[in-house]
Amino acid sequence: MSEKAITILYIDDEEHNLHSFKASFRKQYDITITSSVVEAEQLLEEKDFCIILADQRMPVMTGVQFFEKIRIKFPKPIRILITGHTDIGAAIDAINKGEVFRFIDKPWDYQYVENAITNAYDIYKTREDLKQRNIELQKANEELDKFVYSASHDLRAPLMSVLGIVNLALLEDDIKSQNEYLELIRQSVKKLDTFIINIIDYYKNARGVPVVTDISFEELVTEVQATIQYLPEYGNLKMTTDIQQDGVFCSDVMKLRIIFNNLINNAIKFQDKSKPNPFVHLTIQSTSSQAKIVIEDNGSGIRESDQDKIFKMFYRAGATNSGSGIGLYIVHEAISKLGGEISVTSKIGQGSIFELNIPSINK
Amino acid sequence: MEPLLNFFLIDDSAFDLFIYEKLLIKSGITNSVKTFNSARDALKHLVAKADELPDTIILLDLQMPDMNGFEFIDEFDQLPGDLRSKIRIFMLSSTIDTRDIEKAKASTHILDLLPKPLEIPFLKKKLGV
Repeated sequence: MSEKAITILYIDDEEHNLHSFKASFRKQYDITITSSVVEAEQLLEEKDFCIILADQRMPVMTGVQFFEKIRIKFPKPIRILITGHTDIGAAIDAINKGEVFRFIDKPWDYQYVENAITNAYDIYKTREDLKQRNIELQKANEELDKFVYSASHDLRAPLMSVLGIVNLALLEDDIKSQNEYLELIRQSVKKLDTFIINIIDYYKNARGVPVVTDISFEELVTEVQATIQYLPEYGNLKMTTDIQQDGVFCSDVMKLRIIFNNLINNAIKFQDKSKPNPFVHLTIQSTSSQAKIVIEDNGSGIRESDQDKIFKMFYRAGATNSGSGIGLYIVHEAISKLGGEISVTSKIGQGSIFELNIPSINK
Repeated sequence: MEPLLNFFLIDDSAFDLFIYEKLLIKSGITNSVKTFNSARDALKHLVAKADELPDTIILLDLQMPDMNGFEFIDEFDQLPGDLRSKIRIFMLSSTIDTRDIEKAKASTHILDLLPKPLEIPFLKKKLGV
């Protein structure tokens, strides 16, 4: 048995039936036995059972009556009735009413019972899987709904800004001020482009097949730095790195690039220009089993009330021109896909520290 | 000649604040535009300047971080009646979501939903000037 053992509750007023059942199957299944229907109900409260077996002929109530009583409150376990030939009418009735999944003839035979349990567990597992899938599907649908709502806003808003600027420019006779409007159009278009690139990143991350290769953090960081240092908002920020890598670290380079790109970009975007020496410091300590990454800046910081929300989709902590609230969400998704963790400590006005732990993936 | 109107612009986009402030002043219907990049700040300002506030038209964006347009309206609803009576609110948004549009229509405090980009003749018509 690869996963958890199948949990079975067996109720029978005849103790020797209980014990012979347990003796026959205890190696295969996780078995709980009781001779009392009252205790059986209590056990159902305490433990999750996949399958319930009950004898039909019991003094307080019959097996079918017991099933009728518990099926609303405990709908998950699959019910199997054990009866003698004389109860056959009751058994057929119970099956037809949907109270029980199977009935087992007394005296039972090992093979037959094992077969019934296997079939019952198949049904149990299929139902549970379906439930799980439904929950996942519901979550995906809600996310998609939110995504479409926010994405349509973030795609339309910069376009409407451009249109507004064009309308304004058309009212202007002064040719000189046209350049100012063109500059605004350029910024708006760039913002839209960044958003589109982010969305593509998000989908690559969510749906793409991960490619695991040997990672050189030195190379990766140099590559990311090269793409950002000419950004106009880079200013006189000073970026320093301290990278120590011992042993071979394997991971999905695409996801790591998304992570570094977003976190470093954020440090640039949210630098505190009023400070004389804005900096971002990146520390990476990597072994063959895991990488510990710390990104520290002295930027504008994140309010404490926002710190648990910044990794949520489309959450924007501040009223700034840049940012659609998708960057850190993508970072968070990418890190969880890699099996890692991210945490943030930050003080408003002082700066932020992002700490990441990412395990190496065994090829 | 119509008296000049006072405007508040509430929008998290610095672009849009810039564009619509210029556009409103160019249109000649106002020479007083106050801009807020956060709805919460605008609300604080309303409360602080309640007594001296002239009749004001607010153009309110919908999707903003921290406090969005509808959340601003909820807070606005709690303000004293004589302050509210000095204020007319239009929502100015690029939304095409039917739920947003219905919600804006249903609100008693929102006079109308104006689509972005703002068209001055359309605004003038809504204001009856």
